[in-house]
Amino acid sequence: MKIETTDPAAEPSAIFYKRCSVDLRSGDMSFADVPCRNFEDVLGGFGRSFQDLAKRQVENAYCDENPLIVNTGLLTGSSVMTALRTYFSGYSPIKGSQAGLPAAMWSTGSGKFGAKFKWTGLDELVFENRSATPIYVLIKETAAGPQVELKPAEHLLGLSTHAKIMALQKEYADAHFAAIGQAGENWQNNYMGSVALSTENQLKSHEDKCRFAGRGGMGSLMGYKNILALVAQSSDKVSKISEAVKKVNINVIKGGGSARIQPLSRGGGGGTWAAYDVLQEFHAVPVNNFRPQGNDLPERLFRANVERDYHIKSEACFRCGITCHNNISEKNADGSRGEFLAKFDYEPLNLLSTNLGIHEAGQAARLIQLTDNYGMDAISLGVTIAYALSYNARHPHQRILNGATFGDYEKIRELVIQAGEGRLPEIGKGSMRLSASLGETAYAYHVKGLEIAAYQPETNPGYAWAIAGGHMSMGTYGLLTREGKSDLESWVKGITEDKLHIVGFDMIGLCKFFDIAKGIGTQMVVDCLKSECNLDVSIEEIRASVRRAFLRGLALELRQGYSKAEFCLPAEVSENPNPNIKLPNITSSEFIEKLEKRVWEIFEPELQGLLD
Amino acid sequence: MIINVKLVGLFQTGRFKQQDREYPIGIKVQDVIDDLQLPQQHFGIVLINGVHADINTLVTAGDHVVIMPVVDGG
Repeated sequence: MKIETTDPAAEPSAIFYKRCSVDLRSGDMSFADVPCRNFEDVLGGFGRSFQDLAKRQVENAYCDENPLIVNTGLLTGSSVMTALRTYFSGYSPIKGSQAGLPAAMWSTGSGKFGAKFKWTGLDELVFENRSATPIYVLIKETAAGPQVELKPAEHLLGLSTHAKIMALQKEYADAHFAAIGQAGENWQNNYMGSVALSTENQLKSHEDKCRFAGRGGMGSLMGYKNILALVAQSSDKVSKISEAVKKVNINVIKGGGSARIQPLSRGGGGGTWAAYDVLQEFHAVPVNNFRPQGNDLPERLFRANVERDYHIKSEACFRCGITCHNNISEKNADGSRGEFLAKFDYEPLNLLSTNLGIHEAGQAARLIQLTDNYGMDAISLGVTIAYALSYNARHPHQRILNGATFGDYEKIRELVIQAGEGRLPEIGKGSMRLSASLGETAYAYHVKGLEIAAYQPETNPGYAWAIAGGHMSMGTYGLLTREGKSDLESWVKGITEDKLHIVGFDMIGLCKFFDIAKGIGTQMVVDCLKSECNLDVSIEEIRASVRRAFLRGLALELRQGYSKAEFCLPAEVSENPNPNIKLPNITSSEFIEKLEKRVWEIFEPELQGLLD
Repeated sequence: MIINVKLVGLFQTGRFKQQDREYPIGIKVQDVIDDLQLPQQHFGIVLINGVHADINTLVTAGDHVVIMPVVDGG
């Protein structure tokens, strides 16, 4: 970024981001220092990419007009804790309206690729058209500025995410990597491809400890463009940390923001996995395709029960003190660590285990590992398989696919492999298409074509207004369980004011664990922007920018053909309420109808002109 | 008075899962948290007889109090 002002909200055009546009068909590329249009452009991430996507009319995700935009946030690569994010944006192959148009989407992950990318001197890389042959893209720092090269990648074809990264590491020892797996390569039959981002831990241990930009099939879009991997080669630019940022970082580690995510050994809450224990108290842990049974089955995957048989180690991303990764390995007879299996986060763990009727940690870990290695979004895959299992349970004499049922590990594993290899489009294209083809959509747990996260929809009507996946782009998933809010006013306020601010993290380059409850409109972020970029910004300016970016996403959904009726939860939730969930019912037809009316009354007037 | 206290997740470590405990009349949830020396930064949710409450809620004889850490996903 070239910054020639201290007031980015008033003078955004005095701030320039370095963009490289690559025509994959011709190999032509151009570099430009692009003046920012507004504060969203300055912050970056989807705040910028969605403005560019809005300028394009895209009717099919797999077309030349659909770009893949890779960018970072303003603070990515800075000394601020968690500032490691990379964003992948484009029109999604999996998320789309009933009108048949693809939705704009972004996905993000940590690891060290984002920082390395930023340190090359580039802020954004836009891929146009598609390459005729498989390539990988080398982005490197030179004395003359960032350079981009397209390299043949036939030797990477067919390799897993991890294997691609390991192969490239041999050639580029000082680089970091973003790679798709076989799922992304088989984009025709798999719309849920993810992008794996390398970590320091992975490159040192050679164990498959990637981070993932999973949602929305950005890995499949990358596969369509015939890009198998990105290599960011630059020197580490770890500057001396300022007193202001040091203070913020200490607050992030020790303050309320991340305390719940820290390892138990440091007095933390043990990561997102701990959600199992809490949600089970309400019988709100998804079981067998989001139908909790009011029993204790989910408890088998409580951490306390898993650590008897498996080795658990808390690890972190590069320079991050939050240590949120709960890495599960086999436990040797002497109690020492055996083979690394997978990382247990709440979402992938639940959706690839308990919600499939699997309650054994080793089996869960193997499914997560397979999913990661094939490069698939664990949420979309798990939920789509859960739908298929539910269909088979309801039609015991007319089962589909391999006839798998809840708890049948071997057959479920077979589905994961077939989907990952592009041999099972029924699963690979997601639950919206599968359920529509079978004529039973009520128990397909997606919203607007994107599978929901591992929070029961009965606890979160806010899913309907999430713009890029259920829980990471609308922070209402704890409003009922955590805050006990079951009244209409609280939900209207949550959706239209407070909880939408979670998307700010997907602009600025920080992980949500920086301060998940408050978003980026805080004094901590104001202090960081001053210290790292010499920018004077107010909390109000940040919040206004995040709100505009969110609303632009909503406007873009409507422009891509979504009707208001599609902003809804799966029909089963209200048609067949689950009596086992021990929480007030906030998803009755009456409540939802009132909520929709109030939310749209607030949002709709603000959508005017946002896409101009 | 006797109240039944259930602890969830990390709060069980070094304490108990569920126990009948005796407290003086007039105590609040915060007094139970203090008595059990639960780490304040992890306090998230309290239910009294299945209904969300807060640290200032009065606890009465025979209540079932569930104390949970805060939860966030990703």
